[in-house]
Amino acid sequence: MNDNQLAAQGRSTLSLHKLGVFCGLAAAVWLGTAEAPTKLVNAGFSPFLISMGMVMGAFVARWTVPTLLKGTGFLFADLRDKPHLIVWALLAGMLWAVANTLTIFAVRNVGLAIAFPLWNTNSLVGLFWGWLLFKELRGSGFKGWAKVLGGAFAIVGGAAVLAYATAQQSNTPGRAAVGIIAALGAGVLLGTMYIPYRKAYISGMNPLSFVTIFTFGELGTVLTLSAIYMGGMGHVVSELHRARPMLFWPFLGGFCWVIGDLFQNFAAKYIGIGRGIPLSNTNQLWGLAWGALVFAEFSGLSTSGKVLIITGSLVMILGALSISTADPGASELVNWKQAMNRECERYGLDTKVVAEVVAGDDPLAQHPPVRRWWEAVIMLAATSVFVWLAIGTRSQHLAISMPWMVVLVAGTILPLGVCGTLLWRRTRFS
Amino acid sequence: MKRSRLVSILTDVHLWVPVGVLILGIILLMSLR
Repeated sequence: MNDNQLAAQGRSTLSLHKLGVFCGLAAAVWLGTAEAPTKLVNAGFSPFLISMGMVMGAFVARWTVPTLLKGTGFLFADLRDKPHLIVWALLAGMLWAVANTLTIFAVRNVGLAIAFPLWNTNSLVGLFWGWLLFKELRGSGFKGWAKVLGGAFAIVGGAAVLAYATAQQSNTPGRAAVGIIAALGAGVLLGTMYIPYRKAYISGMNPLSFVTIFTFGELGTVLTLSAIYMGGMGHVVSELHRARPMLFWPFLGGFCWVIGDLFQNFAAKYIGIGRGIPLSNTNQLWGLAWGALVFAEFSGLSTSGKVLIITGSLVMILGALSISTADPGASELVNWKQAMNRECERYGLDTKVVAEVVAGDDPLAQHPPVRRWWEAVIMLAATSVFVWLAIGTRSQHLAISMPWMVVLVAGTILPLGVCGTLLWRRTRFS
Repeated sequence: MKRSRLVSILTDVHLWVPVGVLILGIILLMSLR
């Protein structure tokens, strides 16, 4: 659909590259904010439990806002069209769950300072798979390569500097080798998780459908792993019961995570994993902003530590800017089309329809979704879980800066509104 | 699911790369216990 046709339908003519960049940055904000509620959890609970609370929160949250955007009718129609992708969405959820558990081991053994930059290399792994399996960056020329690869390395480098600076505030236990292997393993798993993401989107799947199936794979794997590590489901249930007064916070983190992941998926769809994932990996900046400004975690930081934080943040921002300006040229887009054609031929998909969906013009999205009565029940039930948990939450005795909290909450909601509106006006959430 | 589609899935390199990495990840996780 050209610009005139889009304008005739009252839709935005924003380029898909710009839309994808906005989605990547919005994903970073929401994925970074997802870390904030978990900071409100008092010590004394297993990291497994907190992680499981987040995954359960993400699972429940999937049935709130996303259900409002597209009904279950759209979801089932999308899955009926591409049933083979259910396998990949489940697989992505499983990869995430195993990677997340590895990060717990990594942080425990080498601390966040070393672990975070190591697993942040997932963007480089994703970039490699994007190039190898989906022809991303092929034909982009030296300038395109330099912008994307340079930006991705800058983001990983910035992450390393930030993590080093923030580590000055914490003690790092030993068993370094195990922690480093776990962190690197998490990076490889997370980077590989983007293979299913990209495959789904060049096959014309909607990110809302993908994330739905993803949460099933994620929850199933996390429950299985937790049962193995905590000595059976009985122990898991009793630990969850014990954690009831604080469970709202990881659930809230899970809610933020779902919104962030949806934006990340839209970014992977419109600018590919080579560009989208490094952008969303700047989430560390937002996690840092919450820690520094709201929770005053770095109040005793030395001047050199503050310089490192500012340097790391600037390097990350420069990396994000570099990738943001790396539009794929015509010759690269030809390669993207070849990757799409491979999926259409292999799985008998309608090339014309898939091309329309990939370009943000899903024919299914042109018609208002048919709403079913049970969608209201599902949304009410999901919202009730959050309300029930909030009511039973014990207040946490933690000093927070309310003015900064208001600023950061506003700074989190703003990209949701802006990016949500852009997605609606340009693609109708397709 | 149609047999031809199942064959397409099972012979797809896009499946076996993530599956292989997942298996290695699970082995790594189990060895860390």
